[in-house]
Amino acid sequence: MVSCKIVNALYAAVPSRLFRDVLIRTHLEKCEACQARLVSRQEAEALFVKPKDVGAVGGLWRTIDRRAGQETIVPEKRLAGFRWEWAAGTAMFLILAAAGFWLLRGVQTGAVRADYARPADRFEITYINVGGAPAQAYIYQPAGSDMIIVWAGKTS
Amino acid sequence: MGKGLHSSMDEREIVAGCLKGATGSYQEMVEAYGSLVLAVALNVLGNREDAEDVFQETFIQVFKNLGRYDPGRSFKTWLLTIVYRRSLDVIKKKRRFSEFAARAKSEPAVVASNPGPKHGGPEPLPSRFLKTLSPKERTALCLWANEGCTARDISEVLGCSASTARVTLFNARRKIKTFLENEHGVLQNC
Repeated sequence: MVSCKIVNALYAAVPSRLFRDVLIRTHLEKCEACQARLVSRQEAEALFVKPKDVGAVGGLWRTIDRRAGQETIVPEKRLAGFRWEWAAGTAMFLILAAAGFWLLRGVQTGAVRADYARPADRFEITYINVGGAPAQAYIYQPAGSDMIIVWAGKTS
Repeated sequence: MGKGLHSSMDEREIVAGCLKGATGSYQEMVEAYGSLVLAVALNVLGNREDAEDVFQETFIQVFKNLGRYDPGRSFKTWLLTIVYRRSLDVIKKKRRFSEFAARAKSEPAVVASNPGPKHGGPEPLPSRFLKTLSPKERTALCLWANEGCTARDISEVLGCSASTARVTLFNARRKIKTFLENEHGVLQNC
């Protein structure tokens, strides 16, 4: 009885399956007192539905027969579908890859342009032509601002 | 495997007939093992509708993959392995959609009413105590109690080691005993 208590305490304390299996095989399976704490085969049997209780399976056979008849064709269909899926998938991948390459190329070009469009420290206008004739140019810079306005007017 | 429903000779003949593609052998197989498959599925899943789905899926899979069956092994064990795996699939699917089902239950107008048992009269169902066990424990206990399976047989069906099967079965037996005792105590106190 003392050993039963020790074994049960060890079983509860050590969650290793191998160790528990050893305890089952060496003690729990053989000890009558420990076996009394487990449901017997007869008691357990009463809880389950037995094969003889489930009734005739003839109706279910007809469903299987119908399904089996349909599904024998399925593998061929699935194979054909499989090839089409691969072809469509590959085409889609190539399209996406090309589009991605094109877009990334555009972004890269934009980035280079943005680099060139940084604010200039110095600029120069050498010539302004309006309506095919040299224009009159005025340059303004508002006080306290870095902004420069170039005004070109047609010469009369 | 424990209690044999059919001799190994019958088993071999049925399997050989199915491999030759004889429709009669397919039907013979369903008639020979159908009740067993349905009972195990019913005991693992706890409801007839899902058990019938598993029944169909199992036999379809068996017919498709019979070429892969190793004649050195017990056909019944191979069959029960498929039943167990298909049942687990159903349980997993149900778990995944449990949230949706809970929402659908609160909207009775959307959900069709339960048609009830198909064949008239109450359907045999496993005990409610079994719901306290995991599917693995339920299967182990069912195979041990109903089919007289040993830990080794159970381990083949569950796809685990014999020691794991032994521990699973032991835990299941102890849990059920505790529940039965508690229930008995409650009934006595009433």
